[in-house]
Amino acid sequence: MKQRVVYFICYALPVPVILLSLFIGSTGQADAGAALALAYKKVVASSLTVAEEDSWAMIKNIIYNVRLPRVLLTFLVGAALSVSGSVLQGIFRNPLVDSYVLGISSGAAFGAALAMTVPLIPVSLAAFAGGVLAVLLAYLIARSGSGATIITIVLSGMVISGMFSAGLAIVQYISNPYKLQAIVQWTMGNLHVASWQELKRICIPVLLGLVVVFIYRWRLNVLSLGDDAAKAAGVNPGADKWVLIGCATLLTAVTVAAVGIVSFYGLFLPHIVRMMLGADNRKAIPASIFLGGTFLLVIDNFSRSLFAFEIPVGIFTMLLGGPFFIYLMRKNKLNWH
Amino acid sequence: MEAAIEVKQMSFSYGKQTVLREVNVGFGARKFSVLLGTNGSGKSTLFKSITGVLSGYRGEVFVKGMPMAKLTHKQKAGLIGFLPQFYQTVFPFTVEDILLTGRAAFSGFSPTGKDYAMVEQVLTELGLEGLRKKRFPQLSGGEQQMVMIGRLLMQDPEIIILDEPTNHLDVYYQHFLMNKLKTFVKHGRTVIAIMHNPTLAYQFADDIFFMLDKTVVSAVDTATPDLQLLEAVYNTNFLHIMHDELRVVLPTGGKFA
Repeated sequence: MKQRVVYFICYALPVPVILLSLFIGSTGQADAGAALALAYKKVVASSLTVAEEDSWAMIKNIIYNVRLPRVLLTFLVGAALSVSGSVLQGIFRNPLVDSYVLGISSGAAFGAALAMTVPLIPVSLAAFAGGVLAVLLAYLIARSGSGATIITIVLSGMVISGMFSAGLAIVQYISNPYKLQAIVQWTMGNLHVASWQELKRICIPVLLGLVVVFIYRWRLNVLSLGDDAAKAAGVNPGADKWVLIGCATLLTAVTVAAVGIVSFYGLFLPHIVRMMLGADNRKAIPASIFLGGTFLLVIDNFSRSLFAFEIPVGIFTMLLGGPFFIYLMRKNKLNWH
Repeated sequence: MEAAIEVKQMSFSYGKQTVLREVNVGFGARKFSVLLGTNGSGKSTLFKSITGVLSGYRGEVFVKGMPMAKLTHKQKAGLIGFLPQFYQTVFPFTVEDILLTGRAAFSGFSPTGKDYAMVEQVLTELGLEGLRKKRFPQLSGGEQQMVMIGRLLMQDPEIIILDEPTNHLDVYYQHFLMNKLKTFVKHGRTVIAIMHNPTLAYQFADDIFFMLDKTVVSAVDTATPDLQLLEAVYNTNFLHIMHDELRVVLPTGGKFA
């Protein structure tokens, strides 16, 4: 693809998509036409009837208190998931890796479900603790052999992931129907929980994670060539790796805690970015941040406007991601050997 | 002899299996040293320990008289450039991206303009000018090997340590590379390489070492191949031919009947 087109998609598209998203909703209220008509009247004619004043107030309310936080939250979640996917794929030198592989997602899901059933600590905190616990366990198991290699970490991550999924199933099994419904909804990814409060809660950790990964993006290139090659070039891969894995864990656990599980997104978005820009993480990481946010926003717009009811975004990403991945495999565009 | 790398009493084992036993060896400064030995004899383990890729050995390594353990990563990167035997990337990095990673120890979080100039220089030196924007996984095995050697040159190291550099190279590139290494030595660098081809070793090396019984043995005289030693090392017979000043050392088999 032409370089200019690619940069346009990554860096110019977010603005119109964000603006458009503010006027899309499942209610049909406050759509772009009505909002603009009223805004025009208010600014130019500066005389509204009482009924119009009312609907103007409602539109403002919907856009400012419902849609704007949701749009921003979705953007942050998309950016966080795609960046954490890029980081994990780079470090583990495996294009089929995402936050599931280290058990981060399942750990966080288990923690959240447990907190929903036994409300002792906040759901988001429990999810975060679950995610961190999963990574630590995966690492400890991997280390107990002859040292933590890529393969042992990936394998023990899968084992941990499976065990936490079983734990989640147990929690679902013993919880009462109302809580069960909440848990099930949550495991499908729920962006409608968005509020200014939720946004404030994830904003700082997500931005922190994104900034650190952005700073480390060239180091990720070095790590992608393997430990031996990094050491040969005089780099201690251990330190860089833990900073980056820490960021990936933070990004995933915080977003899972906030909106539940958005499957597949962290897996396929890095592939789209690599197909467009190549493997160099100096370009791919910033592109992942912006395209990751924009694309999830597009998906979410479909998920809340396609049908009369809202489809959980996690189901949508899975439905889109599956065929896309098959397409990549058939076309041999996975760019790995 | 002034030693670039001095190994003292080095032992290494993977679990209960001893791979290196009290190795004592010195590789001369500004010399082309070659280490020969069979598969699994511990050559790679020795090189990985020397270069600090493997830790967990007993004994000491000195680089230009300085204990290795006291060197920082950055100091090490400027002194020693290492070509590991296996490297892999699954991602479509360009040759330029790969070369730039060689500067990671010096340039922190982003390559500098000087680093880009070095890319140009290294590609020219190795005759790889056309490959700059090519994707690494799509190159031939030989081209990949040359690029990885280029990555090591990006460190501008005094000592170059190579684990089977002629791997994947066709006969032209094998000789091209050996001559290149010889030039590096002429320009004041030290080259230490693991090889599998005794003929190339005897044609190009200043010093030859063998891996025998988990330790390193030095060839006393590199001008006349010690056939008995070669046979002890490889457990196969050898033939030594001189053809117009050109030395050929050929394995002839003969121990399998």
